[in-house]
Amino acid sequence: MPYDAMSTESDESLLAAYAAGDQAAARALVQRLGPRAFGHAVRMLGGDRAEAEDVAQEALLRLWRAAPGWREGEAKVSTWLYRVVSNLCIDRIRKRRGGTVDLDEIAEPADPGPGAEASLQGRARSGALQEALDALPERQRQAVVLRHLEGLSNPEIAGIMDLGVRAVESLTARGRKALEGLLAGRRAELGYDDD
Amino acid sequence: MTMTDRSKTEEAMLDGLFEAERRTAPLPSGDWLARMEAMALEQQPAPRPAPAPMPRLRGGGWREALRAFGGWPALAGLAAACAAGVWIGVASPQTMTTLLSADSGNTLSALDPASGFDYAMLGL
Repeated sequence: MPYDAMSTESDESLLAAYAAGDQAAARALVQRLGPRAFGHAVRMLGGDRAEAEDVAQEALLRLWRAAPGWREGEAKVSTWLYRVVSNLCIDRIRKRRGGTVDLDEIAEPADPGPGAEASLQGRARSGALQEALDALPERQRQAVVLRHLEGLSNPEIAGIMDLGVRAVESLTARGRKALEGLLAGRRAELGYDDD
Repeated sequence: MTMTDRSKTEEAMLDGLFEAERRTAPLPSGDWLARMEAMALEQQPAPRPAPAPMPRLRGGGWREALRAFGGWPALAGLAAACAAGVWIGVASPQTMTTLLSADSGNTLSALDPASGFDYAMLGL
């Protein structure tokens, strides 16, 4: 099947085709899931692109190995992948921090897109948000990133984090409040007027 | 500014930051994606062979048997022979008894494989 024709296929169908040896399905899945896994890892890891590449690679490798035994209808591929990426990131954060927050180890914020063309203010805002996210407890950060940056629904996040929907709502609400507090003092610096 | 106003502006600022961040999602390099594609293909199970066509069960075996017998004419002959055999078996043996009875010499001679004419021809 040509690559373009697979754009409307579900992740689960593509994974079944991958397990059956369809090379076009392999390429389609990499193009679809690779950026998602990488982007989530970057945000969870404080903008460290190199480490995010390692994490996303490990998550994808696990997916390819799980593909032959994947039972359609059992789990959503995207949910499974977000969960693996999140857990790998949390493991790395814990190892890196050794249980304490070390601001010196927080990586420089990610380049927010079109590189040199991005405005300084855009970079400053993106960096400030990333720093504030890094200061949140892991689970709050995970919930906030999934909800407000990846755009997932609360039930989807509940599936990824193995929590109830109410617990997710509580985590994201507390995360938001904490972020607002962390960023409140940087309004002027980030170009937000007080009027 | 009241506490409520301050809270609303902070919420609005955070929403603005989230929105900007969503628009500028961190993207992986093309090189990394190419490596991931190579890894996916390397890990991929070998293609499954196309399933062999299933033998036609319906009627296939009967057709083979029919061809082995010699087709429909042979089968018709076989059926006729079977019917004749059944008739011979089922029919009353009265006729045969009459034919083979000792007081019916003509009939018996008719049934004798070596008739009087044959003996005469042989000079016996």
